Amino acid sequence: MTKNLLKIDYEKYSLANGLQVILYPDQSFPLVAVNIWYRVGSANEKPGKTGFAHLFEHMMFQGSQNIPKEGHFRYIQEAGGNLNGSTSIDRTNYYETVPANYFELPLWLESDRMGFMLGGLTQEKLDNQKDVVMNERRQTYENQPYGLAWEKLFSNLFSPDHPYSWPTIGWMEDIAKFELDDVKNFFRTYYSPNNASLVVGGNFEVSRMKDKIEKYFGGISRSNSVPDLVAPGQNIFETKKIIMEDNVQLPRIYLAWHTEKAFSQNDAAIDILSDILTSGKNSRLQKLLVFEKQIVQDISSFQYSAKLAGSFIIVSTAKPGVEPETIKNEIENEIKKLIAGGITEDEMIRAKNSLKSSYIYSLQKLDLIVDHLNHYNFFLNEPDSFVFDLLRYENVTREQVIEAAKKYLLNAHVELNVIPKNSARQKK
Amino acid sequence: MIDRSTAPLPEKLTIFNLPEIKELELANGIKLFFVRKEKLPIVFTQVLLSAGSKFDPGMKKGVGYLTSLLIDEGAGEYDSLALNGEFEKLGSVSSVKSNHDSLSMTLLSMKENFDRSLELLSKIILSPWFDEKDFAREKKKVIDRILQLKDEPSFIASSAFDKQIFCDTFYSSPEIGYENSVRDISNGDIKNFYKNNITSTNAKLIVVGNLTENEVIDRFNKYLGEWKFSTRSNMVFEMPKRNSTKIYFVHKENSAQSEIRVGHISKKRNAEDYIPTRIMNTILGGQFSSRINLNLREQKGFTYGAGSSFQYYKEVGFFEVSTAVNIENTGAAIIEIIKELTGIRKNILPEEIDLAKSYLIKQFPSRFETYSQVAKNIEQLLVYDLSTGELKDYIQKIEAATQNEICSSALENIFPDELVVVAVGDRTKISGQLKSLNGKDAVELDLSGNILD
Repeated sequence: MTKNLLKIDYEKYSLANGLQVILYPDQSFPLVAVNIWYRVGSANEKPGKTGFAHLFEHMMFQGSQNIPKEGHFRYIQEAGGNLNGSTSIDRTNYYETVPANYFELPLWLESDRMGFMLGGLTQEKLDNQKDVVMNERRQTYENQPYGLAWEKLFSNLFSPDHPYSWPTIGWMEDIAKFELDDVKNFFRTYYSPNNASLVVGGNFEVSRMKDKIEKYFGGISRSNSVPDLVAPGQNIFETKKIIMEDNVQLPRIYLAWHTEKAFSQNDAAIDILSDILTSGKNSRLQKLLVFEKQIVQDISSFQYSAKLAGSFIIVSTAKPGVEPETIKNEIENEIKKLIAGGITEDEMIRAKNSLKSSYIYSLQKLDLIVDHLNHYNFFLNEPDSFVFDLLRYENVTREQVIEAAKKYLLNAHVELNVIPKNSARQKK
Repeated sequence: MIDRSTAPLPEKLTIFNLPEIKELELANGIKLFFVRKEKLPIVFTQVLLSAGSKFDPGMKKGVGYLTSLLIDEGAGEYDSLALNGEFEKLGSVSSVKSNHDSLSMTLLSMKENFDRSLELLSKIILSPWFDEKDFAREKKKVIDRILQLKDEPSFIASSAFDKQIFCDTFYSSPEIGYENSVRDISNGDIKNFYKNNITSTNAKLIVVGNLTENEVIDRFNKYLGEWKFSTRSNMVFEMPKRNSTKIYFVHKENSAQSEIRVGHISKKRNAEDYIPTRIMNTILGGQFSSRINLNLREQKGFTYGAGSSFQYYKEVGFFEVSTAVNIENTGAAIIEIIKELTGIRKNILPEEIDLAKSYLIKQFPSRFETYSQVAKNIEQLLVYDLSTGELKDYIQKIEAATQNEICSSALENIFPDELVVVAVGDRTKISGQLKSLNGKDAVELDLSGNILD
């Protein structure tokens, strides 16, 4: 039954200019969701120019040839919809959900900035959004406890020439330096129909939707081929330990290993491994460290897999008076125990059943479904991969999870300890 | 070439039918609000209890919150881990949350596992363990969490603001409690809180799912038929007063930004002018393209975002402007915020009203998309004792609100001379800026929002 529900009825085609279109009609609710992915993210940046993909995303909301500043927000608000964008290491997306009778509006808005964004560009808008983004960086990272840990971790896990080594928001000094020419060049290089995919889902008539998409996007000209991303080869990697002071009360430990990229052979097995280690009260590390020994306040883990590479991360906050070293030893012992002693059938069932129902629950929201279609299309070139994805997990065996742990979690890694300010000095 | 210069017009409105809310009753009298939703084979259940932190006994702030953490740590024949394992095997998600007014248990399950999931939930309601070991562990976790909250500027700002606007009433302290008050809590306090508050008298049930009315009633009668009644004396709430504007700050060394809160006490949710007030706030700060955000973010670049809201507890409402700005602009941002509060009282343009109304009316159907969203709408009715007519007449009431009513709602609900202003940031960088606002030294508060001598 689950598999019938997850079978998504869709149609995929391309316009003459190379724009990929994916239509997912679903008449169950009077909404239409539009979701565009551009195949560009912070991984396409260069050292010294970090954070630009994200700043550019902000500029896309500053108007274009026919849309005034803040126009996107105003039009969608008037229609009773919602909208936003997001930037990750691999891609940038823009989305709107509107009442079904307004389906044409987001097509007009999105096509105007895809084709004619530079027509609305001014120095004043750029200066304003640089200020906004610098405040975003302050609010989301610098002024948050442990907020600077992630960029510290990844800039140590990846070599400086690897595009996953800098944060998506960018380094502050880079954000401050961007100029109008950067915006123009970036737009011309990456923002073209042949570097994007458009998903429209919801309550509409397919043939009419096709006509409207052709009307708004068909006339936008394609660009030269988009430069390919090349990841530098993996350097010899040795275990590193970094200690960082922060305005925090409790120490936190981060452990990071290199693993595999998204949808590669062991990707799903490592996800399940993560669940078995830290998801829920019964997971091994929560049970041992939060429940029994009570030496950590929290512990979590995840397989962070993307287009070029993947990594496995464990994060845990120490209870007052507990040393990160103690937690690290416990984690390492538990990983060794899992590798040597195996995994129970019960653990596999808990992990897989929770995953299975979470797929069904995710079908409640149209904007999540259309984003998923773009996600699958991006990685697998096949939007309707819900069933394939679920089967990836259902087919994982206990042996595969152990093999994956053995293959990756015994290797060199980065250890980051974030400790309360002045605590290092006090001890000496 | 197509003409791109004007926005395409909308087509004929797609029909939206408000989900039908059935008011049912279990054999023992508990009210159950049911919406049949058939899109997916899933069921969302919420047990809404009038059992929030406002029922914390005396000075023991944090009892209600700690009860919400402990109630699903072992129940019936299952200890804490076993109970959690049972839910995981079903792929069901159960959670307990509490706020000042209510304690809520929610359950999301596949239809095929609903019966068993509800049976497990009923064990949590009817026979929680409150084992000493679990109590000690969760209490320590709360105390350590309170320690961690000292690092979070947004929490510090909000709790200092709450403390000042709510004075000594029960909404003034954070649900989680204070380090000292939590240390004083015993497992006996938790058991008493459970006995007095987690009773069928205080409960209402919300079910949204792919079931028939009979199926719902049968299952709930089967599992919650034995739930005990109770009596409880009413809480007395004395409405705090607004005072003339006062500026406070909390020192946070080397902070990269200032967290700012500006606002005051306001009317209850069931006030006559709720709808015009909501329209007015949409214009002022309830939207991306509202006055406050466009000013502070899109014109000045002071912040990543700024907004205002009217928020409601059962006994009182409050108005709050919230933002985080780079530290050099702390004073300038507060000046702009107060300028906007003064401005909305003077003039609201018809086109602003049209835009706000259009948003609120057309966005309404999307509030019913997911199972939990439907339940959320019902929860709001129950918390504030509103009838289902509140949802049925919503669009019509928005349409009917006049410019006069909307302008009056600003005069009657926003008081720029009676504000509590709180900034959390580095003293050395913000105290001068704050002093220049009114010529007086701002009052320093500690991390819990108490005035420092």
